[in-house]
Amino acid sequence: MSESTTTPVVRLDHIARVYRAGSISIPAVRDISLEIRPRVFSVIVGPSGSGKTTLLNMIGCIDVPDSGRVEIRGEDVLRLSDNALADFRARTIGYVFQSFNLIPVLSAFENVEYPLLLLNVAAAERRRRTLTMLEAVGLESQAKQRPNELSGGQKQRVAIARALVKEPALVLADEPTANLDSVTGTAIIALMRRMQEAFHTSFIFSTHDPRLMAEADQTFSIRDGMLV
Amino acid sequence: MLFRLAIRNISRNRRRSVMTASLVAMGALALLLFGSFTNYIFSGLETGLVQRGGHLAVYRTGYFLFGPGNPAAYGIDDYTAVMRDFQNDPVLKAMINVITPTQAVVGIAGNFSGDTSASKTFFGVGLVGVNQERMRQWDEHGAGRPYVPDNRLNDPDAQRGVIGRGVARMLGLCEPLHVPDCPAPEPRPEETGRTATLDPALADLAHDEQGDRPASGSAPRIDLLSATANGAPNIVSLEVAGVATQTVKELDDNYVAMPLALAQQLVYGRGEHKVTGIVLQLHHTADVPAARARLLALIAERHLPLEVRDYKELNPFFVQVISLFSLIFVFLTLIMVIIVLFAVVNTMTMNVLERTAEIGTVRAMGVRRGSIRRLFLTEGAILGALGASLGVALAFAAIAAIDQSGWQWTPPGNTDPVPFLLAWPTRPALLLGTWLGLVLVATLATLPPANRAARSRIVDALRHV
Repeated sequence: MSESTTTPVVRLDHIARVYRAGSISIPAVRDISLEIRPRVFSVIVGPSGSGKTTLLNMIGCIDVPDSGRVEIRGEDVLRLSDNALADFRARTIGYVFQSFNLIPVLSAFENVEYPLLLLNVAAAERRRRTLTMLEAVGLESQAKQRPNELSGGQKQRVAIARALVKEPALVLADEPTANLDSVTGTAIIALMRRMQEAFHTSFIFSTHDPRLMAEADQTFSIRDGMLV
Repeated sequence: MLFRLAIRNISRNRRRSVMTASLVAMGALALLLFGSFTNYIFSGLETGLVQRGGHLAVYRTGYFLFGPGNPAAYGIDDYTAVMRDFQNDPVLKAMINVITPTQAVVGIAGNFSGDTSASKTFFGVGLVGVNQERMRQWDEHGAGRPYVPDNRLNDPDAQRGVIGRGVARMLGLCEPLHVPDCPAPEPRPEETGRTATLDPALADLAHDEQGDRPASGSAPRIDLLSATANGAPNIVSLEVAGVATQTVKELDDNYVAMPLALAQQLVYGRGEHKVTGIVLQLHHTADVPAARARLLALIAERHLPLEVRDYKELNPFFVQVISLFSLIFVFLTLIMVIIVLFAVVNTMTMNVLERTAEIGTVRAMGVRRGSIRRLFLTEGAILGALGASLGVALAFAAIAAIDQSGWQWTPPGNTDPVPFLLAWPTRPALLLGTWLGLVLVATLATLPPANRAARSRIVDALRHV
């Protein structure tokens, strides 16, 4: 096994996160340490309010723990400046959101192309990779359509293409099937599995969906902010 | 991509964007119309003043402050040589349109013809009629005033002049001069039956000075009495060719214009004829500082006891009008800026609020805070540019409509109606300044909501519904 397949893509070391509302403190994540292997399908499961999303946000470098250490691909992300962290996210992490979160004024093609623009990829290369990705998710004929002209399943396919087009080390998905019907949800899970295998990317989900849990290579259960 | 995104975001809520751009457009329209009107007023006033009194006047030192009370004491010696020096100077030569001498006179004007016996003080001016006519044709700003030739002072040898409407009224000359809407003076009860006549000695004096020069036609004559430079009384007879209404009542009630030679005869008698002023009208107003500097250099070089005044110093009213209109323009600009500011802040704040989750999404994808700020600032600038461009187009249309309408009015400083023309392409600074200013205001107004968007925490933004 090469180093890239053995080094954890994510390493959390005693991280904790407390939300404060006035004088009330609500611990969302308490002293969690974990390692996620590269190129696997990982799932964080737990009931509502257990801290899944908070944990995913800290792994995704969009939230900061109150204590502990977060390493993504060996990089201590808490030491990075705001701009450096933004650049790091642009290069390393792709997101798939529960509500798809596509940019409504951009077409499907432009939504997928957007992350490549952030990485200053040349126009011709951008176009090639975007079209390849749209083809991979089966949406080449919808390339010019705006999000409001797409179904929920199509939107999530665009979101998956957008997350993968920059070939990130890590794709985070926060309950990606929660807003889809069961048939579409199953299709999306199958698509993500296929894409993960094709692109050798690490996927981390937070989910309640047993179908997703069944697909997991690695599962983390969380309750009351702690791994169980 | 930034520009494309900004344009699409603006078109996302069309009604709101159109309303905001319309407010910016109204701001631009108001500023451009009022700015053009202000320019028109300035140009019109300047044109009137320069046509009458030139750009620069050279006086004997001290005349400007003390001379008008006793012009005879402030005559310029050997003025023809001085004028020749100015005219032949290679620097001034290129700038001068007209150079002409003038002589100020103060005294008493009387009408003692027939049963009439009226007199009053006057402020007179002796001038070279043909030069004055050339000056009246100056129109650097294209003010569009129709030039109506007035040859009443063109014969330098004639004792023929014009008087203010007020002078005509008070001397009982309205009827003989056929001046409309000009009532004859009512005789006061104590004066009924009494008539004053010109002292025979003075009448003889006038006859001696002027010789036998019969009046042409049936034009009325008045007698002008003044003191000569050495203090002796002197009198000349002036044939009144007509009325020249002045815009300021005090001036109109005292104004007498006559040929230079006659004024010199009245002030200097048989002594050396001098003048109180040498007036220079330049081709271009912009040359005033350079021409003034050159005149002062020549005066210093020749050790002449002369001073130079420009048309703004000679007409403080002009400077006051400029200040007044400039102040109104500043207030109007402030009001427009505040309106545009509030409209854009409101629109962009709404945009930021509605797109909070989207901001969180792109931030999560790796967009920097600065890029978020730039995106919203670009949207504000585009809104400002669209509105300002629309305003410019509307202003062009409005100005074209006004100019085509043939509307005439009598602006301050004028006695006759002139076309109302807002020919603003001569002032590109107004156009550019308004456009850039409004775009800048719209951009700056976007800064607070843009900063708010850029500073928002990603997880909070993503949770926003």
